[in-house]
Amino acid sequence: MKKRAQEQKSKILTDMSRKAQEEMVGFAMIVIIVAIIILIFISFSINRDVQEPLESYEVNSFISSTLQYTSDCQDYISYLSLQKVILKCADKEKCLDGKEACEVLNETLIQITQSSWKLERGGLTKGYVLNITEKEKSIYLIKEGNLTSNYKGSMQALGRDEIQIFFTVYY
Amino acid sequence: MNGKAQIKIQQMAFMLLAVTLFIALVVVFLVVIRFSGLKESAMILEERNSMLMVNKIANSPEFACEDSFGKNKVNCVDGDKLMMLLQNNEKYMGFWGDSSIEVIKIFPKSKAGLCTLDNYPNCNIIRVNSENSEGFDTSNFVTLCRKEIEEGETYDKCEIAKINVRYS
Repeated sequence: MKKRAQEQKSKILTDMSRKAQEEMVGFAMIVIIVAIIILIFISFSINRDVQEPLESYEVNSFISSTLQYTSDCQDYISYLSLQKVILKCADKEKCLDGKEACEVLNETLIQITQSSWKLERGGLTKGYVLNITEKEKSIYLIKEGNLTSNYKGSMQALGRDEIQIFFTVYY
Repeated sequence: MNGKAQIKIQQMAFMLLAVTLFIALVVVFLVVIRFSGLKESAMILEERNSMLMVNKIANSPEFACEDSFGKNKVNCVDGDKLMMLLQNNEKYMGFWGDSSIEVIKIFPKSKAGLCTLDNYPNCNIIRVNSENSEGFDTSNFVTLCRKEIEEGETYDKCEIAKINVRYS
């Protein structure tokens, strides 16, 4: 009689333990499902933020205007635009007056960037970087001022020889 | 048995409450993340709209270089055309509404300030319309081109400028 009662008690305890385990598993599953849903939401939200480009129309217009600027470098026909001087510089060519195209490019770009983006104390623009690359290799680089974490940039490709012009302004 | 059922119901109620609270917290967290970029988005949108307006003016037939200085020129302003426009300014009275439009040469800088037919092209500012002295300012880089003569030969001379529009 006593033995039977003990067996019954043991069975009840085992059943209770199993039920508690089942509830724990159920709770864990709910937590996991909710966590997965949160992760999906967060990743979706972050991805949308990353897709927003940090491009600036002003910077883009600046590159376009700079490329169209008429330089002091001449060929047999006329004065060359800065876009053509960049191509000449990439080919290590000279202007009609014997001056290196890269030298003209350097002088002109420094003057243009300094006149267009004034780095004054307390001013809005803190710094800028102009990088011209050919086949992803830098052929010309200007770095001025402080490179802060708040920046806007733009890129334009010249088409030939994969020449790209990157300009970033730091605020 | 009755007591056990009550405990079960209580357990379920607590569980539902906990899950609801958890979801509410997550929603609040997501809303905070979403709205934190709202100010930045508004600024980007404002900048985009301003630039579109300036670009629209710069590329309008009264300002644009069109095919006079070679093809495929974007944001290019014809300085010679603007000077002729200044001469006929009364015909364009009210054409641009109450906005103030000026093209300011950035590089290379000349000595004289405001452009007139006497000092052009050795000047810095071509004031097309000066109706409005108050309001929002928006500007963008453009290429200011003109025809130049050297040793009897005509060539295109393009410089860096900014088109500045003030509107209310």
